[in-house]
Order: sequence, then structure tokens, then C-alpha cells
Amino acid sequence: MEMKFVPSICSYCGTGCGVLFEVLDGELVGTLPMKTHPVNHGKLCIKGWNLHEHINSPLRLKNPLLKTFGRFTKVDWDKAMDVTADRLKAVIAAHGPDSVGVLVSAKMTNEENYLAQKFARAAIGTNNVDHCARL
Amino acid sequence: MSAMTPIQEQVHQWLEEERVDIFLAYRIVEGHPLPYAFTREHIEETGELVTGPARYSLEKFATHIASRYPDARIGMVARDCNQRALNVLRVWNQLKEGQVETVSVNCCPSDLRAHADCSYLERRPVGVVKQQLGQVPNQAVADVDAQPSAERFDRWMYEFQKCIKCYGCRNICPVCFCNECSLEHAELIGTGHLPPDIPIFHLVRAVHMAGRCIDCGLCEDACPAEIPLRLLYRKVNAIVKDLFEYETGSGDTLPPFSILGPKPTMSPTPLLAVAQE
Repeated sequence: MEMKFVPSICSYCGTGCGVLFEVLDGELVGTLPMKTHPVNHGKLCIKGWNLHEHINSPLRLKNPLLKTFGRFTKVDWDKAMDVTADRLKAVIAAHGPDSVGVLVSAKMTNEENYLAQKFARAAIGTNNVDHCARL
Repeated sequence: MSAMTPIQEQVHQWLEEERVDIFLAYRIVEGHPLPYAFTREHIEETGELVTGPARYSLEKFATHIASRYPDARIGMVARDCNQRALNVLRVWNQLKEGQVETVSVNCCPSDLRAHADCSYLERRPVGVVKQQLGQVPNQAVADVDAQPSAERFDRWMYEFQKCIKCYGCRNICPVCFCNECSLEHAELIGTGHLPPDIPIFHLVRAVHMAGRCIDCGLCEDACPAEIPLRLLYRKVNAIVKDLFEYETGSGDTLPPFSILGPKPTMSPTPLLAVAQE
């Protein structure tokens, strides 16, 4: 029996509300607002209250899936990377770099988001970058 | 060891003597007073136990432990509101008799206690707009009752229309534990728009708080729209007390409205099922 309370910041938008994760035996079981946090003073919106849900969701993607002939099949990362690179190259060659857009996510780290926009601008050559937390 | 406070010493002793398996209190983590579970394995940490000033529903964490470990003996620091919540949770079989042992700590400010550790419920200044249009929190139920009924209705509706439907009031509530919640039933409360159906959203919750609410004020604390929920639930509890002489949070009996069986279900009524076909 091990219960931990882990302070963190809500990753759903740029406000930066303080949250507290309730962890029982290593499993994330709940999210609470941090009462003394200067940003949210113990309050959260509905997204923040449900931060823990996607972690343990059975719908969460854990492997790359490749869609061929309308059906998803599980593939390894090397195969997924190769296919993605080939398809991106083909699209850029046919329609130009601005035919590609990169959508990044609040569920990634700041550094990963930085790398993603760098990839869009430097590798692909487009400024089409957007983020779900651009409030 | 000599520098320990009496409460720290008591918790240390309870863990050492195996009187409790886990003790819920607070500890300063990254500058914040956060709930913390003290255990025998890390008994040296009891030297860092603090009791306030933040207030979390430790008894709700206790029910989460108890649902996974039914025989766990749980200790916790408890203000008066925690004690009342523990009583309600025991009456509703969420915790077993004697499963939770408490160390009493200083409570919220009230007419009886000028000084208190818990500052969240101190009267805060109320803005002009809320004074003119809304219901001022911390007023007496009798003062609300004294408002003309049309004005009272308008003031409550002003408060309810601010709701962003975060469900924070329900999520933070120490005595909300149902697996299936009426507030999430599309047949009872429409979905997909803000504000939610008012006043039904708030009144459904208010009805469910009758004989259940222990007046801890955590819901009002957690409300991003500052709806005076505590005042609303005080009113429904006052009705339960007047009509049934039921004092929520003390005694051993279920409230007068607990007419549901052990497995309440809320499948659509035959009429609705027909309408949907």
C-alpha cells in the first residue's frame, strides 16, 4: 500500500494551473487542484479535473499503426518512420512544402514541441505549425 | 526526536506500534502544504508532518485506500469538517467502523473560534456586482429566505448562469462517491452547451446534498465561478433538519431520503425508451 501526491502543472493549455496527482500503488487514480497554487487558487476547469483519464485509457495509442487499404496494422517504429518520411517527401515534391502542416500537442514536453516546429521550418520548409493550447 | 511536535510524536508512535498502516496529513513539498501519506517504512518523515493551513479531503483519499485494501487501518489529521465527513462515509459504508483513527487539529474560523488554522472560509470582501445581482456567500440562510421570492430567484439564477460545468463541486466533495452520477445523465440534464441547464443542474446536486452535505465548504472553494454553493446546501440541510430532525454528520442512521437499494440504476423510463425508438 503506497499513496503519493505528486504536484504538477496542467498540460491542457497555457494557463498553467497547479494540479495534484493522486497515485495509489503506482497507478494514477485522480487529479485535484492545488489549493495553494498562485495561478488557480484551488480551482480547475473540466479538462484539468480529468487529466489522469487519458493515462490509463484503453484507447490510448501505444504502438505506431499504419493504415493500408483502409485498415490499421501494427508496425514497428523503423517501418513507421520510413513510410512517413517517404510519403512526406513525395507530397513535398509534388505540391511544395506549404502543403504540409505540423500539429503539436500540449501532451508533449516543451522541448519536443520546440523540435517539432524546428522540423517543420528547417526540414520541411513551412511555417504551418499549430498547437491545441494556443489560447 | 526531541524537536518533534506533540502531533508528530503521536503519529510516529501510532506507526511504530502498528496502530495504523498509513497516516494522512500534510507536508511542505516544493513550498506547498500538500497532503502526504506517512508510513512505517519511512517513519523518519513524520518529523516533517504539518497540519495546515491548506485543507484537502483526506477522508476521500482514505475511501480510495479502503476500496482497494478493505482491512487497512488508516490514520489522519482531522478538522471538525473531516470528522463529520468521516461519519457520513461510515454511515454510507464507504469506511468500516473504527477503520479510521483521527488526530484532531485546529479548525475553521467561526463564531465559536476566533483564531483558526484554516483560513479558506474567512469572510472575504464581496464585489459590487455580486452584491447587486448575486447571492453573497457567508450570509445566513434566514437572510436569503427574507428576500422577496422573485428577487431571490433572480439572484440565484445570476449565480447559476456563471457555471462552467467543471464538476469541481462534485469531484472535490468528500461525501460524493456514487459510481453513477445524476449530473452526467443526458436524460436528466442536457449536454453540449454552457451554461448547463439551469437551475436544474444545481438543484439536482442540491437535492442530493440534503442529509449528505457536511458543510465543509470545499465545493465553494473549488468553484471557478464563485457560486455560493455552501449557502445553497445549508438551506437544503436546514430543511432536512426542520422536517426530519436529522443532523447530518453525526449519529449512526442514514438520512431520511435514502430510499434506494444497494444497486441504484437509472436506465431510461419505459416512456423515454418508447420515445427514442
